[in-house]
Amino acid sequence: MEAANVAGFGVILLVAIALAVKVLAAGTVSFANGFFYADSLSALVILLTAAVALVCSTYSIGYLRDDQQSGDMGDDPAGAEQIAQLRMFYSLTPLLVFSMLFIAVANNLGVMWAAMEATTLASIFLVTFYGKVTSLEAAWKYAIIGGVGLSMALFGTVVAYYAGHSLPGSDSLSGLNWSVLAQHAAQLDKTSMRLAFVLILLGYGTKAGLAPMHTWKPDAYSEAPVPTAAILSTALLNCALYCLIRFYILTSRCLGPEYPRHLLLLFGLLSMGISVPFVLAQRNLRRLLAYSTIDHAGIMTIALGLAGPLGSLGLMLHMTFHTIAKSTLFLSAGNVYQHFRTDLFAKMKGGVMRAMPLTGVVLFMAMLAVIGMPPFSLFQSEFLILRAAFDGGHILTGVLFILFGTGIFTGVLVHLSGMILGPVDDTPVAARRPWRDGSLLTLAAALVLIGFWVPAPLFELIRGAARVVSGQ
Amino acid sequence: MLMSPFLDMQLGDRIVTLMAALVLVLQIAMVAQRWIVIHIRIFAAQSFFLAMIAATIAWFNHAPHIYIAAGLTVAVKVILVPILFERLVERMEIREEIEPIINVPISLVIAGGLTLVGYVVAESFYRPEEPGLGHNALAVAISLFLIGFFNMINRRKALTQVLALLTLENGLFLAAISLTYGMPLIVELGVFFDVLVAAMVLGILIYRIRETFESMDVSRLRRLRG
Repeated sequence: MEAANVAGFGVILLVAIALAVKVLAAGTVSFANGFFYADSLSALVILLTAAVALVCSTYSIGYLRDDQQSGDMGDDPAGAEQIAQLRMFYSLTPLLVFSMLFIAVANNLGVMWAAMEATTLASIFLVTFYGKVTSLEAAWKYAIIGGVGLSMALFGTVVAYYAGHSLPGSDSLSGLNWSVLAQHAAQLDKTSMRLAFVLILLGYGTKAGLAPMHTWKPDAYSEAPVPTAAILSTALLNCALYCLIRFYILTSRCLGPEYPRHLLLLFGLLSMGISVPFVLAQRNLRRLLAYSTIDHAGIMTIALGLAGPLGSLGLMLHMTFHTIAKSTLFLSAGNVYQHFRTDLFAKMKGGVMRAMPLTGVVLFMAMLAVIGMPPFSLFQSEFLILRAAFDGGHILTGVLFILFGTGIFTGVLVHLSGMILGPVDDTPVAARRPWRDGSLLTLAAALVLIGFWVPAPLFELIRGAARVVSGQ
Repeated sequence: MLMSPFLDMQLGDRIVTLMAALVLVLQIAMVAQRWIVIHIRIFAAQSFFLAMIAATIAWFNHAPHIYIAAGLTVAVKVILVPILFERLVERMEIREEIEPIINVPISLVIAGGLTLVGYVVAESFYRPEEPGLGHNALAVAISLFLIGFFNMINRRKALTQVLALLTLENGLFLAAISLTYGMPLIVELGVFFDVLVAAMVLGILIYRIRETFESMDVSRLRRLRG
């Protein structure tokens, strides 16, 4: 199962790269009668998803073997119960990744919705993986909040379909195809599109974890196995934003960018603002990371609201950089958890760097990156988004962005120093773990490298995706 | 042609309106209902009338693919899901009544208010120049959606929350067929598959919650905070 997973995700990454190359050459790719459709935006999301899936599946081999040893998965290592659990993990993870890839290539907005619902269903039992009381609670919240959110998204999709019902060919299968609707966006019914966008924003915003629909996120991320949490907080977040972006493009072409802008800025700032006190008062490492993800979802939503060439470029760069930084963070948090057997800062007593030099350094670096410290790449994308805000005359947004950003910055630094700069104690030094150190180092290298140098084809792809968003 | 197309439409509209009214009455009955098993049966009955609305719209609009949606509704929501849930209730030996958070008379008033909201919102979609079926059905659909929401908030037991989520989905289905005479077929298939899987997944989850907590009371799920 382990080998099949890694090999499968390896093949998927190759296919994703091939698709990206094809999209770079041809602009858009569409096959099976337009049922599948990919432009630079889809290709970028697919590439990121496939890369994260491969790294996480390599990591999970070592992680789950350790879980088996330490008794986190029941008392009997290699017992029948554990084998069943592992089998479930290694079959639900590909299902989750497959659904995410489907979201990005589906042209039909209804099919896209169905794939998004499939990601929720596939990941519920990954959240309950350890079968603890708390993981059941997390899964229940995740299922119910996600279910309500997705039903709103479906309602929004239905209304968007209605908005296009006067177009020729709307009652055929292609009537809900994004490429068709985008072409005729100006003729869509305006009242319906207004309602549709609000429903879509609430619906897919729930999946992206925008405040105030974010409450499932810290629970699900801290209860799920770490590789799953890494996938949920990067690839799945990208996919939820991807759905939102698709509808944003339709709405802004139909009603102009002003209408969605106000809503997106509102939800984005709210998400950033709500995460500040929770980051400051946080005691648990993985929950801290979850609130940081909520903050970044807010940043990307703000970037989408600002739109324009600058905002869109900032959005796409930020999506790429955040995916790398946050998956690095989750994987190193997994190492920390398994060594200290706790997520609480207080119980680590500042011994992270001493006990686990490699993980400690990577964690330290990725934390600095994720709060936007130069020279790491997230500084550049956040700077671009901020510039887009001030250029567009959204002074209040810019000021609040800086204010909330500073709050998060302070909070994370305080917790980070508490974890790392502790008094000397007798915590045992962790053993090397080849599977996990390998994936962690790959990500860390990518994180450092991309701060200074983005490969030209990747940057072309990001710029192409930004052009899709801004419509230029 | 025995009847003029106009009369034909009018008859269809009356049938749809009647059925939609029944669906709404059942939804409000669910607000007032206290026993879980009856709750499940009301849901089945509501889904049945929904399927009848779909079939009526398919007949009068000559849209054969809506028959498939109607058939799927009967298969999934009238037969499969209720059987699944009743078994679950039997297996877990639930004898408790539903205890709503807000008492029944006030809940009914709120449900009435939400119905009113549904009618107001549906007005904005009304196009007098486009005669068609299901103008009332849309108002009912939005009301179902809102009352479903309210029911989810108003319930403590896991199973009743899931039932409320499913009635919310019924509202969506009604909106989809009355606004657009059905979505493209493949979308409908996807949606029904998802509903079925979601019901099963949530059923398993409820069972595990029940086993762990010895209760389905979701207000006991309050360990994770901050």
